[in-house]
Amino acid sequence: MRVLLIEDSPRLQTSVGRGLRKAGYAVDIAGDGKQGLWLAESNEYDSVILDLMLPGLDGLSLLRRLRQQENNVPVLILTARDTVDDRVRGLQQGADDYLIKPFALEELLARVHTLCRRRYGRKNVPLVIGDMKIDTVARTVTRAGQALDLAPREFSLLEYLALRRGEVVSRSDIEAHLYGESAELMSNAVDSAISSLRRKLGATDAEPLIHTRRGMGYVLEVKPA
Amino acid sequence: MNSIRRRLTVGLLIGFCLLWAAGGTMLYFTIREELTEEFDRALKATAEGLEALTTQDKGSVDVDFSGEFMPGFARQRFPDYFQMWQDGGATIKRSPSLKEGDLPDRIISSARGPKCWNLSLPDGRPGRAIGIRFVPQMEEDTKNQPSPMKLSEPVTLVVARHRAPLDHRLHLLATALLLVGGAVVVMTGFAVPAIVGRGLAPLKRLEEHVASVDAHSLQLRFPTDGLPTELRPICQRLNELLARLQASFERERRFSADVAHELRTPIAELRSLTEVTLKWPDDAEATQGALQDALAVALQMESIATGLLALARCEGGLLPVHLEPVRLSPLIKEILQPLSDQIRAKLITVSVVVPDDACWLADPTVLRAIFTNLLSNAVQYCPASGSVRLTIETSGQRGQLSVSNTTNDLDADDLPHLFERFWRKDPARSSPEHCGLGLALTKAYAEALAMELRAELTNPKEITLVLSGGQTCPDATRGAG
Repeated sequence: MRVLLIEDSPRLQTSVGRGLRKAGYAVDIAGDGKQGLWLAESNEYDSVILDLMLPGLDGLSLLRRLRQQENNVPVLILTARDTVDDRVRGLQQGADDYLIKPFALEELLARVHTLCRRRYGRKNVPLVIGDMKIDTVARTVTRAGQALDLAPREFSLLEYLALRRGEVVSRSDIEAHLYGESAELMSNAVDSAISSLRRKLGATDAEPLIHTRRGMGYVLEVKPA
Repeated sequence: MNSIRRRLTVGLLIGFCLLWAAGGTMLYFTIREELTEEFDRALKATAEGLEALTTQDKGSVDVDFSGEFMPGFARQRFPDYFQMWQDGGATIKRSPSLKEGDLPDRIISSARGPKCWNLSLPDGRPGRAIGIRFVPQMEEDTKNQPSPMKLSEPVTLVVARHRAPLDHRLHLLATALLLVGGAVVVMTGFAVPAIVGRGLAPLKRLEEHVASVDAHSLQLRFPTDGLPTELRPICQRLNELLARLQASFERERRFSADVAHELRTPIAELRSLTEVTLKWPDDAEATQGALQDALAVALQMESIATGLLALARCEGGLLPVHLEPVRLSPLIKEILQPLSDQIRAKLITVSVVVPDDACWLADPTVLRAIFTNLLSNAVQYCPASGSVRLTIETSGQRGQLSVSNTTNDLDADDLPHLFERFWRKDPARSSPEHCGLGLALTKAYAEALAMELRAELTNPKEITLVLSGGQTCPDATRGAG
């Protein structure tokens, strides 16, 4: 999942960005409103964390412009402004969630997670594909009843493919959603991650779930017998 | 009865009714007077007619009376009466209508002649009478005879007439006046509330407008065009009050938002830094960076707390102030010294005009804090290649410090907010080095020293902070400090 953090406090950029990356998100960071708008317009994010008091362009104006462009990326407003008026105004301008500073990191991660699920029209229920069960809240995966040990990025890759189950997902889509803009990707990074994930999913000698569509990308599905 | 409308309506109704009643009464009495005079003139004419018909011949008085000339005396209904007496009191003549009755032998005179009076007629009804005294004229055929025996004593004639026709007309008049007056009062009863309502309509509109104002609609203003003259100043004052309230509410909102930002953001930073570090402690470099950030946040919060406490002390009158002579020139040099790197880096031109012997009687610690804040503000907010000017001027016993710096982003609308707590021109409040307490605190310090601090835009690109009211040192103490 790829998240855009628009926040002018360098310390929050560092800590929240690190927390999100550790939780398996690809994170892009903007320090002012204009840069944030440009990034949001240029890339496809699974959610945006938006401060309101921003230099250059304030958060509400940025949100309004995004919605005017029919950009429906889920937006969580993260701000110190705590009055009911502020919250109502933020939600009326098109925000999907509102969190007041100071905040608990776990709560922020949970809310971002929910927004990312919502992006694909799913709720926080376990994703079941064949004999595989993905618990998106506990961030655990079992196959044929056996727990699999996945790294955060591997889990995010599997979760992303599972959310788009049955669809062919291109390498560039995977890059865009799992790796931040700043990440310097090796040319075979996606293939390598898929290969690693396949190995872990196939450890139980079960049917392969990730299939390659040559020249197009990958699809996660249970092939009919 | 606290309603103006009701008061006006009732007052006007009572007033109009009293006016109508007084007017009707005056009209009635005026017409009654006129009718009575007309009645009396007719009665007097009858008496004079009888006088003309009365002659004397050889000592006897004769009234050539006949119903043909005087039909009133022969009328069956409401006949007239007359009775004539000799000076001695014996009745000479009387009208047949008197029958057995008598009229009173009475004459009322005034400067304008005989007057009529009211009486009870022989038939018991009210009447009006006039009495005249005259000497009957001689018969025509004996008038020229030599030494006729003439009656020299005058006779008294009283003529009386029924008042019934007069009273009937007066009764009709009174009835008409009462009916018309009643109708007018009823119409007034309808007209007055309508007129009052129409006259008070602007007040009613103003009342509705005022009632619609609440904390969320302070931007509303009452229209003054087309308002009655009496309400215009009220509306103008209300509009001014609303503007002040709106500014006050906005200041309060801005203050709350600024405080929230200044206090919540560092706490959020601290919490986020520590939570992330505790959750993923494996990265030593990140942990080291987080600890450094946490220290910076703590220092920033300490600065805010110190500023707020100092402000509270100042406002509570708890700031200790010990006045002593302070030489300004060395003080300003000391303050500028640590700013020199910044001044060089930003290529700022600094000009200082301070007389060598400039000396103020002030608390040295507080005065240093004021000067430091003003000068560091000027240097920090001055754009690169701009200029900072510092001038000390003395006039009599009072001194004034002016600190000017080039500015690119301040305008006249910002001046009233400069000394508000937590106010910052940048709505994003990005700079963690400033929290917007500096000038508020400096102003409080100035007030603690009985000085005044104000801001002026000396030109569109230059702001000047003026500290006035400095008490200059007596000559004997200038060498001290």
